[in-house]
Amino acid sequence: MELKLSINGKTYSISVDPTDTLLHILREKVSLTGTKNGCNQGHCGACTVVVNGKAVKSCITKARKLENADVITIEGISSNFNLHAIQEAFIEATAVQCGFCTPGYIMELFALFSTSPNANIEEIHKSLEKHLCRCTGYQPIVDAALLAQEKIKNA
Amino acid sequence: MKLFNKVVGASIPRADAHEKVTGTALYIDDLRFPRTLIMKVLRAGVPHATIKTIDISKALDMPGIHKVFTGKSLNLDKDHLFGTCIFDQPPLAIDKVRHAGEVVAVVIAETEKQALAAIKNIFPVFEELPFTLDPIESASKEAPIIHEQNGNYRHVPTFVPEPQTNVFYKYRLKKGNYEFPFQDAEVTVEDNFEYPLMNHAAIEPHGAIARWDHTGELHLWSSSQAPFVLREVLADYFKIKLMTKIHIHIPYLGGGFGGKSDYTIEPLVALAAKLVPGYHVKFVLTRKEVFIGSVLGRGMKGQMKLGAKKDGTLVGIEATQYYSDGAYGDTGCNVVLAAGHNCVGPYFFPNCNLKSYGVYTNSTPVGAFRGYGHPEGQFMIERLLDKLASTLEIDPNELRMKNFLSPGDTNSLGQVISDHNGDIRKCFTQTITKLDEIPLPPEDEKFFYGRAVVGLIKSPVQTANASSNVFLKFNEDLTVNISIGGVELGQGSLTVLAQIAAEALHIPVDMVRINYEINTQLTPYEWQTVASMTTMRVGNAIIDACNKAIRKFKENAAEVWGCTVTNTVYDGTKVSYQDKSLDLKHLVLGYQYSDGHTVGNPILSTGSSVVRNVTFPDLETGQYQPYEWTFGSQGVDLKISKNTGEISILHFVTALDAGKIINPALARGQITGGVMQGIGQALKEKIEYDGSGNMRTVNLRRYAIPKLSDMPKKYSCIFIETPQPNGPYGARPIAEHPALGPPSVILNAIQRATGVSFTSIPVTKERMLTSLKKGGV
Repeated sequence: MELKLSINGKTYSISVDPTDTLLHILREKVSLTGTKNGCNQGHCGACTVVVNGKAVKSCITKARKLENADVITIEGISSNFNLHAIQEAFIEATAVQCGFCTPGYIMELFALFSTSPNANIEEIHKSLEKHLCRCTGYQPIVDAALLAQEKIKNA
Repeated sequence: MKLFNKVVGASIPRADAHEKVTGTALYIDDLRFPRTLIMKVLRAGVPHATIKTIDISKALDMPGIHKVFTGKSLNLDKDHLFGTCIFDQPPLAIDKVRHAGEVVAVVIAETEKQALAAIKNIFPVFEELPFTLDPIESASKEAPIIHEQNGNYRHVPTFVPEPQTNVFYKYRLKKGNYEFPFQDAEVTVEDNFEYPLMNHAAIEPHGAIARWDHTGELHLWSSSQAPFVLREVLADYFKIKLMTKIHIHIPYLGGGFGGKSDYTIEPLVALAAKLVPGYHVKFVLTRKEVFIGSVLGRGMKGQMKLGAKKDGTLVGIEATQYYSDGAYGDTGCNVVLAAGHNCVGPYFFPNCNLKSYGVYTNSTPVGAFRGYGHPEGQFMIERLLDKLASTLEIDPNELRMKNFLSPGDTNSLGQVISDHNGDIRKCFTQTITKLDEIPLPPEDEKFFYGRAVVGLIKSPVQTANASSNVFLKFNEDLTVNISIGGVELGQGSLTVLAQIAAEALHIPVDMVRINYEINTQLTPYEWQTVASMTTMRVGNAIIDACNKAIRKFKENAAEVWGCTVTNTVYDGTKVSYQDKSLDLKHLVLGYQYSDGHTVGNPILSTGSSVVRNVTFPDLETGQYQPYEWTFGSQGVDLKISKNTGEISILHFVTALDAGKIINPALARGQITGGVMQGIGQALKEKIEYDGSGNMRTVNLRRYAIPKLSDMPKKYSCIFIETPQPNGPYGARPIAEHPALGPPSVILNAIQRATGVSFTSIPVTKERMLTSLKKGGV
């Protein structure tokens, strides 16, 4: 099928199989490799991107559901040489180690804070709970989320 | 001397953070090359079998297929085995299958879909054999033999196999009156323990890309912690006589934890690529394949017995550990060695009788895993010390304080502990003080509450001639590039090493760039990125290179002034001598006079750090000189739900004497991450097999690594900084250590809270609840 969708504000028309996953399309068809494949089963959250304003696991999102979708990936949130506040917060809170889960977390929070800038700690925990990180022990990621929220509010 | 903000000891941001938060950091699966083919494999699905036939004819004729092969179709035989210590492994099964995840056939195709379609059209016929997954059962004389050639494989002299059995390595350590270690004991305690098989579960799956060019040179990109080990293994396996013909490249790693050390899939990918010269062959494991087709960790069943005087003074220890090392032994054998002598923990025993066995079983092979043979013994001894304390009616903390190794004591290996090994008593008492800041609630209607504190010790286990080496160059603007062979797998080495270089050169840290482009053609030799040794060993090599660079600046200036080098002073901006001085920028390419002629040389240097005085184990006593030690302590407050059995960690305290902490924020990240892994081992993680010998825990749901909700309510990290004399600015290893203590300290706290004694992990909430219902209280 020919899939029309927007990725990071650009319109694409891509030849895909209806069963292709969004993760496969992003990484293999448009070479956006910032979105990571950790398990391809919807368990780890590393592949999370934002589709129509919601954080979704791109490895279990099929092409047939993406007609005219608006997709934002890790490559789409910083502008020119300026990092997004969430990206800054991950650096400042030492929430990055191996970095493989990082884009997924950042996109999860991007969706959360876009819709609920005042999300409370339970809501933040609930969003982050969808992801696995094997390096940090999670505390630095929670710290980064709170710092990012602060930065966004003060911006 | 020019003053600048001290950079060692500062929590500067990670050097690689910008790339990682923008998705531009490249990992193995992100690399793109022309003429790339995709590789997929068929795995046996039976744990132990003779291969009768494998029909690949149908697969060969399918669209997009370049090659399909089996061990037999390539005529592989017993001369086609690889390894580093015990050469017992073929890249894929040849005559027999030894674990259900073993590769029996390989497809190379244009696309992933074509490769997967062809895999479905390969038809193996097996004659199944009895299998074993239990190391004690497998070590018995009656067990089915997994390697008929055990004993005949090429191996290094220190690894002694037991032919006609599944025991590929036995280690024995004898200290003092090892035959009768309990002669002076007034009380003994003993128990049986199990530390199950586990998976590292780095979020990035393993991957490799290989290409042979038409002159027979091998190019390999891999998610590996060990580029130079790979080069050695591949040179040996493919009989490549010149190492200049092997190019190993390492991109960023999305976590390793030992699961990407030594080698895993690389020999097979290189073998496949050799059939299609000129093409890149790419193989990235699925999550299931990470579980069944890379390496696992731990897998110990053992017994331990302690003897003590009535006053609590320890007199003797006996331990026997059986390691379930899976189908191949090479990556497990050194873990068995380390586990053998480290099971005594940070305690003084005059008499030790310790045995450990590396045993072939029909599981995925086992290798290094954060902690490398330490968590298993740590688990046993700390559980038994609580039992001893209760038997003797002594406070368990006092019992530990009384028996910690002190300067002047000899450890199990006969090595004398000195002041600079660190202050374990300080770690231990500060852990207790930190826990005391938040009182432990008394038992209530809903919850039991428990607290415990344990000691820990770890030595970096490394080969006796392990070394790190670096190349350093000053650029014309006085910025510095340093090339290293150490791999950045998340631990923060690029940052910490830049801090060490900046400190040594007296320059701002943003003037230093640690190059991250590992290529064995360009990068100086590095043994491998394991054993928590990067800060220490690469750091020392960098200081060596920096000192040589400083010396060269001084030589250039001394030549201008006609003075001796010894009287010149370097301060990071200039070299001076008496009332004269020259800016470094006038010396960095040599010194050029106003008429143009130039003296001196551009500033380039090399640096090395070789571990010294490490020896091989004595075959009779098992004793040898290991490297340095890091002491520490961990304590926990937890609560246990009476209704559900759920165990929640309220406060987890880690105190480590890791010497000087170069970057406190990154060190703290190692601790919180290591603790979380240890908590996962204590409460959740276990590799399980079904009745057919196939692994059941093959995804990240069934193999449940900790989630955010499993995080302690509070982490505390305490750094005691007794300087390491031969460490860079006094630093000691730190990275694996926080993962050691959680299983023992959590199970001790559970027992103190509920009376239920567990000697195996994980203690899941279901298991906890069942025990509570049985009236363990």
